Amino acid sequence: MNKYTQWFDERLPIFSFMDKQLANKPTPKNLNYMWNFGSLAGVCLMLQIITGIFLAMHYKADVNLAFDSVQHIMRNVEWGWLIRNMHMVGASFFFIVVYIHIFRGLYYGSYKSPREVLWWMGIIILFLMMATAFIGYVLPWGQMSYWGATVITNLLSVIPFVGESIVVWLWGGYNVGDPTLNRFFALHYLLPFVIVGVVFLHLWALWTSKSNNPVGIDLKKQTDWIPFHPYYTIKDMFGLGVFLIPFTFMVFFLPDYLGHTDNYIPADPLKTPAHIVPEWYFLPFYAILRAIPHKLLGVVAMVASIAILFVLPWLDRSKVRSANFRPIYRQMFWIFLVNVFVLGWVGAKPPEGHYVIIGQVSTTLYFLFFLSLPWVSKFEKTKPLPTSL
Amino acid sequence: MKKLFIALSLSLLVAQSGHAAGGAIDVPKGEWSFVGPKAHWDTMEILRGYEVATQVCLACHGFKYFSHRNLTEIGLTEEQTKALAAKMDMDVNAKLLSGLTEEDGKDAYGLVVPDLSVMAKARPNGVDYLKALLLGYEDAPEGFDVGNGHYNKYFPGHIIAMPNPLSDDIITYMDGTPATVEQMAHDVSAFIAFTSEPELVKRQNLGIYVLIYLLIFTALTYALKNAIWRDIKKKS
Repeated sequence: MNKYTQWFDERLPIFSFMDKQLANKPTPKNLNYMWNFGSLAGVCLMLQIITGIFLAMHYKADVNLAFDSVQHIMRNVEWGWLIRNMHMVGASFFFIVVYIHIFRGLYYGSYKSPREVLWWMGIIILFLMMATAFIGYVLPWGQMSYWGATVITNLLSVIPFVGESIVVWLWGGYNVGDPTLNRFFALHYLLPFVIVGVVFLHLWALWTSKSNNPVGIDLKKQTDWIPFHPYYTIKDMFGLGVFLIPFTFMVFFLPDYLGHTDNYIPADPLKTPAHIVPEWYFLPFYAILRAIPHKLLGVVAMVASIAILFVLPWLDRSKVRSANFRPIYRQMFWIFLVNVFVLGWVGAKPPEGHYVIIGQVSTTLYFLFFLSLPWVSKFEKTKPLPTSL
Repeated sequence: MKKLFIALSLSLLVAQSGHAAGGAIDVPKGEWSFVGPKAHWDTMEILRGYEVATQVCLACHGFKYFSHRNLTEIGLTEEQTKALAAKMDMDVNAKLLSGLTEEDGKDAYGLVVPDLSVMAKARPNGVDYLKALLLGYEDAPEGFDVGNGHYNKYFPGHIIAMPNPLSDDIITYMDGTPATVEQMAHDVSAFIAFTSEPELVKRQNLGIYVLIYLLIFTALTYALKNAIWRDIKKKS
């Protein structure tokens, strides 16, 4: 540090903080590529915020202007098409990255002591992301925007006694309309910054309890640790490159592939689309919602399917973190993962015929994974753990 | 584990295509100059499509996101776009709107006649669907009641309010191309693809360079990563 940065650092220790928590942060030397997705998620968040701010400069949150303003961005705003495609594809890729990040945590037991609060912050981020993405999809004010908003906000009406009033309060009227769009825009601008705040708490918890690692043991030997920079900065850079290739491909060649064509039809409250489907990243949860024939219980199950992650550290009583040393949990993990894909597939199908049955079986399997863990972790014979790397 | 994740993410993308196109009728896939590695606008094709659009479609359908100025994108000079606009008594910046009012459209067809300027993005299979639809008019199968509508084998539900708009030589092309129904259906679909995504060609052509750049960037960071990690790998 030269004398000017030193002078500054004595008054506001940004530089020594960055040195301690980023550059020279002791990090396990055996992290595999699954550990790239945390920093990638951070990149995605930044990308969404930056492209989003530029979109907000040209977007108009008014039911009569919103659809046109998106077309204005695509056609007349300099590089507007690129910024919007990045934002649109970016939302999907953000979810891909975050889902992989979560499944990595599940596989390697990153939710276990002492990282429970770190895990909690992650779940809160997921909930906030879902809210932000859902609200964001309403803004272009196409048919799927309008009808998706109508279906999903209506779910709140199942809350006993106050449900109906809450929905009216949320809409700002008696149906999804101009006040809804306007406040959704305000919230869509606000929530990402709330996410940034929780991400900071997530990182703070990470700096406190340090990274988990693929072996899942507490590293005691000095030589098991290496500084974050340059080892993981360069590895993350490489990971970023690998991420950006499919991302760029989608942005430039298939920007609308992950969206729905109906959203290029302006919202029409008088005409219901043949199938109302949410964005792909909501499909597994949508399948759980529809698997239960009772409306209130369906909503409860859908919320519970994510909220149950909060208590996962106590459902799983095994002291061993990494699934590599847990033969039964490892099998369960893979079944659970495949089952989530099945749920996603069912969520995209109309709720009829054998899809209903498959959805119900999958939903049962989903919750069985969590509810069986207390017993599994009690009786499972784990493999012997090494004492260092 | 890593490989499986990649495989699963890809399968997700594949599954999505089924979801996006869910319920749509299969349509014949055509060859289009503006899709693929050498994407470009075929100026004459788009202009012929413009003639069909302005002389046939515009009777009922608007193209509100299109103005004559946009034709510079396919290689016309500003003078040429002004001349085309003047031929229609229009300003070069004016929206291309139909003379048919919303009310008259409702009276005649029982619905609001849709604007066509983003139509290629608003239907599954986009431009291929538009062309197929225009060629999909047939006599209804025996016993199939179309009511006030018309039978079309590619329209979802097969009953479309729009009567078959095209017939051979309904217009005369400026470039002398014979105006067959097939030709007009192709050209006007290409034109709608253009009005739907004026950036389409620019986007694809730029994308190739961005991808090449990223491939080099990624290869370099990979080499650098291996160099930096060499001492760690050696120790373990």
